[in-house]
Amino acid sequence: MATSTLTPPSVDDAAPDGSRPARPRRTRSPLPFGLLLPAVLALGLALGYPLVRQVVLSLQEFGLAQQFGRPAEWVGLQNYRELVGDPYLWKVVLRSVLFCLVNAAVTMAVGVGLALLMQRMSKPVRLLVQSGLLLAWAMPVLAALTVWQWLFDSQYGVVNWLLTKAGGDYAGHSWLLEPLSFFLVASVIVVWMSVPFVAFTAYAALTQVPAELVEAAAMDGASPRQRLRHVVLPTVSPVLLVVGLLQVIWDLRVFTQIYVLQKAGGTTRDTNLLGTYIYRLGIGSGDFGTAAAVAVFMLALTVVLTAPYVRLMLRQEES
Amino acid sequence: MRNRKTLAIAAVTATALLGLSACGDDSEASPDAGPDKADIRVWLNGADTPQAARDWLKTTFEKDHPGSTLTIEEQQWEGLVERLTTALSSESETPDVVEVGNTQAPTFTEAGAFSDLSDQLGDLGGDDLLPGFVDGATVDGATYAVPYYAGSKYVFYRKDLLEAAGLEVPTTMAEFVDAAVALKKANPEPANFSGFWLPGQDWRNGVAFLWDAGGDLATEDGGAWTGSLSSPESIAGLETVQTLFQDASGAAKDGNEADPWTPYCNNEIGMMSAPGWVKGQIEDPEAGCPDMIEKTGVFALPGSDGSPAPVLLGGSDIAVSAKSPNQALAQDAVALMLSDDYQTILAENGLTPAKTSLATLLGDDEYAAATIAAASNAKLTPAASGWAKVEGARVLEDLFVDLAKGGDPAELAQAADEQMDAQLG
Repeated sequence: MATSTLTPPSVDDAAPDGSRPARPRRTRSPLPFGLLLPAVLALGLALGYPLVRQVVLSLQEFGLAQQFGRPAEWVGLQNYRELVGDPYLWKVVLRSVLFCLVNAAVTMAVGVGLALLMQRMSKPVRLLVQSGLLLAWAMPVLAALTVWQWLFDSQYGVVNWLLTKAGGDYAGHSWLLEPLSFFLVASVIVVWMSVPFVAFTAYAALTQVPAELVEAAAMDGASPRQRLRHVVLPTVSPVLLVVGLLQVIWDLRVFTQIYVLQKAGGTTRDTNLLGTYIYRLGIGSGDFGTAAAVAVFMLALTVVLTAPYVRLMLRQEES
Repeated sequence: MRNRKTLAIAAVTATALLGLSACGDDSEASPDAGPDKADIRVWLNGADTPQAARDWLKTTFEKDHPGSTLTIEEQQWEGLVERLTTALSSESETPDVVEVGNTQAPTFTEAGAFSDLSDQLGDLGGDDLLPGFVDGATVDGATYAVPYYAGSKYVFYRKDLLEAAGLEVPTTMAEFVDAAVALKKANPEPANFSGFWLPGQDWRNGVAFLWDAGGDLATEDGGAWTGSLSSPESIAGLETVQTLFQDASGAAKDGNEADPWTPYCNNEIGMMSAPGWVKGQIEDPEAGCPDMIEKTGVFALPGSDGSPAPVLLGGSDIAVSAKSPNQALAQDAVALMLSDDYQTILAENGLTPAKTSLATLLGDDEYAAATIAAASNAKLTPAASGWAKVEGARVLEDLFVDLAKGGDPAELAQAADEQMDAQLG
């Protein structure tokens, strides 16, 4: 799941002119490999062990009793077979993918929009916006969620109070009762939490766009929209790709926000995403084997969803 | 260059994390009684245990065991099964003594999460301990948890509001439902006023109506448990619940039953079913509203035949974590919590003591009478080993929220039965 740590933004690695002088072949020193070894070992341990453990678990009948030391029984692909035959899993998968794509898209749009806006702001205003973003980013998730929960509380929430004051009939309206409205609230929170990262990264990338390039385009008669589309965005696209990739990964495995909102209201079964589904199966109902199988499935889904991105990124690095 | 640097940073971070987790594992537990001195961690849930009892436990334990300390860590009832599942299975993270809901205990006892207390059972109270609780925590003749307190919910009501609406204290189930609806009608303001306060997720109160109608959550046939929410009797009970949700309750249709004193003190409740210790919260000047107590009356929820309705037998067990390295000290803490002194404090705060001989300590006021009446016909959740899984998957919370939303009881019950069958099977 930590694909994120493995795909660092490498904007400027490509040789500027694309051609490389032929180097004379020399006997390779083993030093670089020796230097890489500790990192690879640590990664192998930190990522490999849980991964192997998870796959093993998904092939076992592993319940609460096994958690406390009873030997586990091998069941082969039984857990997977049961899952694939369960229409509920597919519902959760569809829900998760939709939620992930919508949220990642909205986050990217708002984040990049803010970054472009920041370029145009006067310094004091920009500082104000940046401090606001930084605070939203630095807020501990649970603290933020408690506040959001209170805002949307059906009995005493300020959102209902304001809407009622404004003439709507929102007294006692429950925002979490209907799944669609539940996911709307969840999306607001998720987007609010991830926009600062996108905005800051995009803004940093935008400051690297050569001013003379934009100026030249302007002198050639390109409209602001054309300059954005054909000059600015292509220049920062490697960064946007990486950030977009991270957003997709994060929004697919979203957990805390959904989990906390489910406790506050709504119907658990109608609002489970992959993350909370795995949790309910494993830690909630003590069926760790099936939960691990769903987790393996989710890993595969992440790879499938992000593969086009990664391919695109690799191609950009090569060119 | 950048690639390699990131890798290196990742490697350093990973190594640091590995180092950290390695630190946690050095407390190799000896299988015997454990050290003489240690910090004993006790998990108590919710605000149920009064502060006086906590203080007494800490001071007494630390006086009896110089050099040792006792720390009480308060847990939320909400999500307790999940937390116990993770905490109890880790030798380094486990609390030493845990409070667990009486309906949740069987799942953990069968999984082997608790230490065998059979040898201590005599000293802890033996036959004097509440029998239903001991049975629930006994597997193959060995007892893994002892009762902590019992307490079934009874109805708190506003005398002034009932009088203003021209209503008498109901004596049968039908009268109760009518009174709840009438009370809501008589108080159109505020809009979220409840004749009977019933948040959507509150199946623990709702199940009384199902049982009263002759239904059940699950039934056993030849050792196998299956859901029985869709039996005609259960559906009749669920229909009563739906009536209450729609015509009597102003609580959030997807809310949970935590902190009932907040809306109660806010003049939003005519009647509510709550555990006895909630009285203490209403009397609390900070959390509650002491003035309201003189307008408050209580009665046990009446059943269809006029005797108390079968409400959920609430209460807690205490147990020693099997993975705790401090078995002897933990057992001493359990002994203190079952001592007459400690149980007296609980009784004075409206909790039914764990020993039947101490029941008279509850007193003889209205509250004690309601406590005893409510317990007289109380029932437990199904004794299936998979029951905590049903609770963990929130099957019943979902069912009741859907009922509150106005779904068809028969269809919803059918679907919930199918889910329960999977959890129980």
